[in-house]
Amino acid sequence: MKRDGRADTIRWDEVAVGDQLPAMTIDVTATVIVAGALATRDFMPVHHDRDYANAQGSPDIFMNILSDTAYCSRFITDWAGPDAMVRKLAIRLGAPMMPGSMLTYTGSVTAKSIVGDQGRVEIELRATNDLGEHVSGTATIELAL
Amino acid sequence: MSGTSESRDTMTFQERLDALVGTTLRSDDVARGPDPVNQPMIRHWAAAFDDQNPVYVDPEFAEQSRFGGIVAPPLMLQTWTMATPIIAGIRERGGSPVVAEGESPLTIFDDAGFTATLASNSEFEIDRYLRLGDVISATTVVESISTEKQTRVGRGHFLTWLTTYVDQNGDTVGTQRFRILKFMPGTAA
Repeated sequence: MKRDGRADTIRWDEVAVGDQLPAMTIDVTATVIVAGALATRDFMPVHHDRDYANAQGSPDIFMNILSDTAYCSRFITDWAGPDAMVRKLAIRLGAPMMPGSMLTYTGSVTAKSIVGDQGRVEIELRATNDLGEHVSGTATIELAL
Repeated sequence: MSGTSESRDTMTFQERLDALVGTTLRSDDVARGPDPVNQPMIRHWAAAFDDQNPVYVDPEFAEQSRFGGIVAPPLMLQTWTMATPIIAGIRERGGSPVVAEGESPLTIFDDAGFTATLASNSEFEIDRYLRLGDVISATTVVESISTEKQTRVGRGHFLTWLTTYVDQNGDTVGTQRFRILKFMPGTAA
């Protein structure tokens, strides 16, 4: 779901521990990987040059970690809305993300708290592809009370 | 950097690695973003990830938001201080965007045959979202270097560093703990 208005930002009091975030699926092509690498100014050849990736022992180019954190933040704010503020994101990479597979993000709310005048929501998330778990991690967002 | 060239000759590889813990990753200590936070790079980023959050690109919407104006995507923080690459020779430099100066953990690994790099962890704490015109600098300190490990992709060492990002006033805007594996191609388990 795309949220495109301030009124569409989720309210802290309507979030419950255990809530599932709407899944997000990316059809990962070579173009998706190269576009993400260059938009994050990551010119490492393993993210755009298959011959180079092969020489490093990888069957193909693979997604850079700056793209992974980018997609995680989009996954979170597509759900929470534009007035949510991402305060923390911690991810760990597992199986590589190479072209030709779907990448599906899922997540859930694990905790809620109030800090000052802000409501905090803790999230755990993962993204899987045809090789298994590509990303796992946790995030914290703030919502105005 | 720790140690003279004479003492390095008598240090084991692991001792040389251990001596780098606590030092800055780059010889010039601070990486300053080549350009201030700007709308064209934000628009490019938002398009690449199909992120339609209007606070990144819609000034009228952003003005009404908690941020009071256009902000950069929070996870774009690392991008602002990425070096402008020298494309020619990047393959020969093992993917390094610029020519390394002086001894750093990365050159020590490369010289020892651990030429390949794989990122494994990235952990951000965001203090504030960046606004157009902010100038970001980063200081990166080596936090730990593991002993040699046999991993799925090959034999190597995990290198963890902590980057502190500051704005033009010297105020911290975010921190990032980053872990990479420097490994030897062709040594997969």
